[in-house]
Amino acid sequence: MAEEENKKTDYTIDYFLNLEGEPCPFPAMTTVNAYNDMKDGEIIEIISDCPQSINNIPVDARNRNHEVLLVEQNGPTLRYVIRK
Amino acid sequence: MNRLRKSWDPLIVVPILGVLSAYFFGFTSKQWAVTGEFTRWGGHLMNFVGVDTSKFSYFKLIKFQGTPLDRIDGVMIIGMFIGIFVSALISNNVKFRLPQSKTRVFQALGGGILAGFGARLAMGCNLAAFFTGIPQFSLHAWIFSIFTVLGTYVGTKIIQRPMFQSKIKMKKVHKKTLYSIHDKDHTTRNNWLLVLMAVLILFLFFIEYNKQSLFPLVLVFGLLFGFLLEKGQVCFTSGFRDLWTAGRSNMTVAILLGMIISTVGTFVFIQNGIPATIHWAGLNTVFGGFIFGVGIVIAGGCETGWMYRAMEGQVHYMLVGVGNVIGSILLVLVWDQIAPFLAYNAPEVNLLKVFGPYGGLIVTYIGYGIMALLLWLYVRWYFRKVNKKQAPTTTVQEGLS
Repeated sequence: MAEEENKKTDYTIDYFLNLEGEPCPFPAMTTVNAYNDMKDGEIIEIISDCPQSINNIPVDARNRNHEVLLVEQNGPTLRYVIRK
Repeated sequence: MNRLRKSWDPLIVVPILGVLSAYFFGFTSKQWAVTGEFTRWGGHLMNFVGVDTSKFSYFKLIKFQGTPLDRIDGVMIIGMFIGIFVSALISNNVKFRLPQSKTRVFQALGGGILAGFGARLAMGCNLAAFFTGIPQFSLHAWIFSIFTVLGTYVGTKIIQRPMFQSKIKMKKVHKKTLYSIHDKDHTTRNNWLLVLMAVLILFLFFIEYNKQSLFPLVLVFGLLFGFLLEKGQVCFTSGFRDLWTAGRSNMTVAILLGMIISTVGTFVFIQNGIPATIHWAGLNTVFGGFIFGVGIVIAGGCETGWMYRAMEGQVHYMLVGVGNVIGSILLVLVWDQIAPFLAYNAPEVNLLKVFGPYGGLIVTYIGYGIMALLLWLYVRWYFRKVNKKQAPTTTVQEGLS
C-alpha cells in the first residue's frame, strides 16, 4: 500500500481536520462548526476513526449544499474531502 | 465481497431489523430487548460480591434465574455480541481506541448510568419501545418515546456546552496531497479471529441445542441482529440527537420505516394468539424515558449503540456498558421504594383492547403519520434557518473510491 501514501490531488486543500479518537457525535459536530469558519469554495480534508461518521459527515455536507469530493475508507479510518 | 466489507445504508438495514424483530417475537413470544438481560448481569455481579438478590422484587419481575446461557435474552445477546464482532472484523472496523480526555470518560460512565437507570425504570430501552413496545401496541412505549425525545433535546443542550466540545481544531493548510490513512494490514489477524468466532458459534450451537430446541434459533437471531447493527452503524441515539445538532434525519427516517414495517408483522402474530408485552403507562415511563434520553446523548450511544461500538474496540463505549449495568443495579436497589407511587398504581394499556384490534392498528399508524409529519416540518424549518445566510451554490457530485 506504500505507493498510495500521500496521494496527489488535482485540487488544493485549504484546511485539515484530524478527528481520530473522537467518538460520536463530536466528529460531526466539529465538522459542521468547521464549515462555518470556511469561505465558499474552500476545501477541507477530514479524518475520523468513528465508523458512524460515514452516516453523518457526507450527509451533513450535502444537506448544506457542500460538495463531497471524496469519501475513502481504510479499515477503521475514514477520509472525507469536502468543498464548501 | 467488496459490498460485504463496506457499511450498509441504515435505510435498508433498519427495516430488515424491523422484520426480524417481528419474526423473533413470532418464534419466541419474547421481545427483542437487551436492558433486562443487562440488569440480570448486574444481579450476577451482586451475587458475586455476596448480596442476597432474592429480597429485591425487581429481580422477580424480570425473572432473574439461571445463567445467561439458560435464558432466551442471554443467548440472544451473546449471539448479538458475536454477530457484531464478525461484522466489525469483515468491515475491518476493529481498532483499539482509547478515550481522548477525562471529560469523555466521565461522559461515558455518567451517561451510561443515567441511561441504564432510566431504561429499567421504564421497563426497557429504545429497543423495547420502538421495536417491540409500539409494534406490540403498548401505550407505555409511546409515552417513553415522547419523553426520550425530550430527554435527547436536553442532553444535546448539555453536550453542546463548551466543556464537552472537541478540543481538536482544524488547521489551515495549503497542500495538494492527501494525509496517509493507511493503517497496518490487519487481514491475517482478522481472519484468525473470524475462524475463532466460527468455532465459538458452533460450540454455542452444540451446548444450546442440548438445553432447549428453541435456543439455536435464538442464537441465529442474535447473530443477525448484531451483524446488521454493526453493518448499518445503527445508532438510535443519533436518530434523535442529530436532529438537534445538525438537522440530520436519515437515521430517524430509517427507524420510523423499521417500525412501520414491523408493526404489521407483530399485529398478525398477536391476532394469532401470541401475547403482547404490555407495561405500566405510568410516571415511571415518563421519568425513565426522560432520564434515558438525557443519558444516551451524554454517553454518545444507547444500549445497542454501545454494544457494537464496544466490540469495534472503542473503549469509550465499553465504559458506557459498565455505566449501564451500574445504572440498572441502582434502579433495582430503589425500585421497591419508588414503584408503588410511580408504576404499580398505573394502568397497563393495550391499544388493541382500548380501540379494538383494527382500531388499535389504525391509531398506531396515525401515530407514525404524525411522527413523519413532525419530522418533515422540523427538518424543513431547520434548513430554512441554516440556509438563510447562504444561497445554494455548487452542484453535488461525489467520488467514492
